[in-house]
Amino acid sequence: MSQISRRSVLAGGAATAAAIGFAGTARAQSAGTITLYNGQHRQTTEALVDAFTKSTGIKVTIRQGESSQLANQIIEEGARSPCDVFYSEQSPPLVALDEKGLLLPADASTISQIPAAYASPNKTWMGATMRVRVMVYNKAMVKEADLPHSIMDVPTAAWKDKVGYVIRDGFQEQIMAIVKQKGRDGSLAWLKGLKQCCKLYNGNGAAMNAVESGEIATALVNNYYWYGLAKERGEANMKSAVHFFDKGDAGALVNVSPIGILKTTKQAELAQKFLAFAVSEAGQIAMVTTYAEYPVRPGVSPVFKLKPIEEIGIGITAHEVGGAALAYELQREAGIL
Amino acid sequence: MTAIARIGGRGSFPPALLAVAAIPSLLVVLPVAYALLRSSEAGFAGIVSELTRPMTIHLLSNTMTLAVAVTTLTVLIGVAAAWCTERCDIPWPGLWRVIVSAPLAVPAFVSSYAWASLGPAYQGMGGAVMILTLSCTPLIYLPVAAALRGIDPSFEDVARSLGRGRWRTFLEVVVPQAAPAIMGGALLVSSHMLAEFGALSFLQVETFTTAIFQQYEVQFDNAAAALLSSVLMAICVPIALAEMRIRKGRRFSRSGKGVARNPDLARLGGFRWPAVALFGLFGTLAIGVPFATLFYWLTHGTSAGYGLERVAPALVGSISYSLSGGLLTTLLAVPLVLASMRMRGWLVSMAERLPYAIHGLPGLVIALSLVYFAIRYAPPFYQSPALVLVAYVMLFLPLAQSSIRASAELVPPELEDVARTLGKSPLVAFVEVTLPNLLPGVGAGLALVVLQLMRELTATLLLAPSGVVTLATEFWSYTNDRAYAAAAPFAAALVIVSGVPVYIFTLRTLRRG
Repeated sequence: MSQISRRSVLAGGAATAAAIGFAGTARAQSAGTITLYNGQHRQTTEALVDAFTKSTGIKVTIRQGESSQLANQIIEEGARSPCDVFYSEQSPPLVALDEKGLLLPADASTISQIPAAYASPNKTWMGATMRVRVMVYNKAMVKEADLPHSIMDVPTAAWKDKVGYVIRDGFQEQIMAIVKQKGRDGSLAWLKGLKQCCKLYNGNGAAMNAVESGEIATALVNNYYWYGLAKERGEANMKSAVHFFDKGDAGALVNVSPIGILKTTKQAELAQKFLAFAVSEAGQIAMVTTYAEYPVRPGVSPVFKLKPIEEIGIGITAHEVGGAALAYELQREAGIL
Repeated sequence: MTAIARIGGRGSFPPALLAVAAIPSLLVVLPVAYALLRSSEAGFAGIVSELTRPMTIHLLSNTMTLAVAVTTLTVLIGVAAAWCTERCDIPWPGLWRVIVSAPLAVPAFVSSYAWASLGPAYQGMGGAVMILTLSCTPLIYLPVAAALRGIDPSFEDVARSLGRGRWRTFLEVVVPQAAPAIMGGALLVSSHMLAEFGALSFLQVETFTTAIFQQYEVQFDNAAAALLSSVLMAICVPIALAEMRIRKGRRFSRSGKGVARNPDLARLGGFRWPAVALFGLFGTLAIGVPFATLFYWLTHGTSAGYGLERVAPALVGSISYSLSGGLLTTLLAVPLVLASMRMRGWLVSMAERLPYAIHGLPGLVIALSLVYFAIRYAPPFYQSPALVLVAYVMLFLPLAQSSIRASAELVPPELEDVARTLGKSPLVAFVEVTLPNLLPGVGAGLALVVLQLMRELTATLLLAPSGVVTLATEFWSYTNDRAYAAAAPFAAALVIVSGVPVYIFTLRTLRRG
């Protein structure tokens, strides 16, 4: 026993000497570094990356940007892209990269950890967290009981000038969900109505603040914008609240923030490890602690007080709502873009 | 017409510098080629239908309204303020000089955020015109104040002795002499308006630039965005031509200035205190509101303190990138300006004008064109600091050019000729005689470029090596997440470090006159 331990001490000493000989580079090489293009909220991703590096020793260089801009950059970069992993806030950027054949399938053992509806059918990307489309409303300006049950009721005379909307960050998926349920014409009519009687905001945060300050009665945003503001201001001080559309209605759409590996990566093994960690229990908890998003992994509970995921959703897969081209065409036809 | 020829007897020009002067022209070709290449992917029919869409017309009218309104207002306010502080008996002129120059230190996107958070009344076109006017006024005020200081009051005495009243003297004698400064500033303001993105996105105003960003956000086939960029370039060209027009056929240098006496200060009389009140109002709106909001966010909100450990690296990133970008830009601008003044021919004047043609383009288009070309033809440069600096040069060269030109025009070329006749080589004559006289302009240009680079966002985001952060990129990404309290320290640091170039620029500009 003591002999073995002495030997291992000696071996350890030799290894240490070798490591010192190779300086820091040897240690860095042993674990490696990957480059992550990140369009997801940075606080979410930083929490994930910190936990990942702590657990595996693999370093992650984050390139922070807006999801679609990063996707456009990856497309321009083509075969020489330095990006290994892309984490997008919305699904359309990854669907577009997938359509251009730029993505590498994720390990089957990783993707099987989450429900198939949250991932691409050809396994090239998978949701890492989820968010819900909601209506936030100013409690002094509208009564909860009067709020619409269906998103199709929003662009009507009753709600004229009372609804703010934002055409980024979940809106394209919203359009595609309506296309799925009401067809192309139904969706176009909805968009035209929106343009006519609702107010366009440049960002979800701006729309959220407008509702909170009483500038407009309600707005269509993602759920976590309310929780973010409540965290900043204190929940008791909030003048607004969250309203969910009925389960099954296109308005109650659940969107994923997907993650995928670039085909051009030279670090596929490390990249796969990162994806595996993202859907692991530790990775999921790290992410949903900072932002009020839902975990994709069954059995992990949200950290924020969120409406149970079983009570929302519309039974449409992330892939089905990720097509940006048709959503773009419809928005242009409606005169929004 | 000749392509390049020396202007006889007007100084000399070392050939090595001529080669350096050609570099910017080569760079300008990149975004132009990129925009046209991508536009052409839409096909002829596609281009026509895109350009005649109601949305395009709407964007055109918004873009022009904003540019014209802000330029007009900044000229009126800037000239009036300069007149008051330099030529009138207003109390505490030194204080008002600082107050009218100070908005330079507050990035437009910071002040816009501050105003937008006060309520919807300040959003939209009206709010945008007001807020951007407040933030751009120093760009007119400073050069005009400098020009007014430099004007020999004896011209006005002559006009007055010929029976002209105060107003006519001002309009017919003073304004024409200050015109290059006014026009130069106006062109700067209008091209800023074309390229402005951050501020307008807080204020909910759609222009070509915001629409270009939006296109890249909602789709992955960039023909439409490239077309909008081409239109934007088409708007920039007349601005560049206008600047050329103004400069043509003027000579501002005097071999012997003599001794100009100090100008008499005009009596404001009953307008004295109303003028003071207006200056006070300007200060409150332009500086008070943004500072108060920043202070509020520094002390409120739970995201406060998040990412605080990154203020230091962001500060290092901001300073190192903006300083080296500013130096490179200024270094390239000097030969360009001198070549255009000392040489004749269309090639030379083209070379000096070309950078202005892309000055109104948003950083996004410049950056994407560099991504496209670098990754294909110069892969080792991709995501290297060098490429960021190239983008910086493309974005802000005209700022340095305008400043240096203002100084260069005050240097009589005969001075250098004298040095030559004394046996100095062209290069030595240039370095020993012309360069020292250019320094005020070089200093002002450098300060202005560094200032703009500190708040540059898109090109830095797209081109910098992964992991590099600056104060501007950090501020932007936190406000995108609505973590205002976390964003506030970065904004505050940005305003504080901006103070240095603002101080230098203000001092250099006002001393030059």
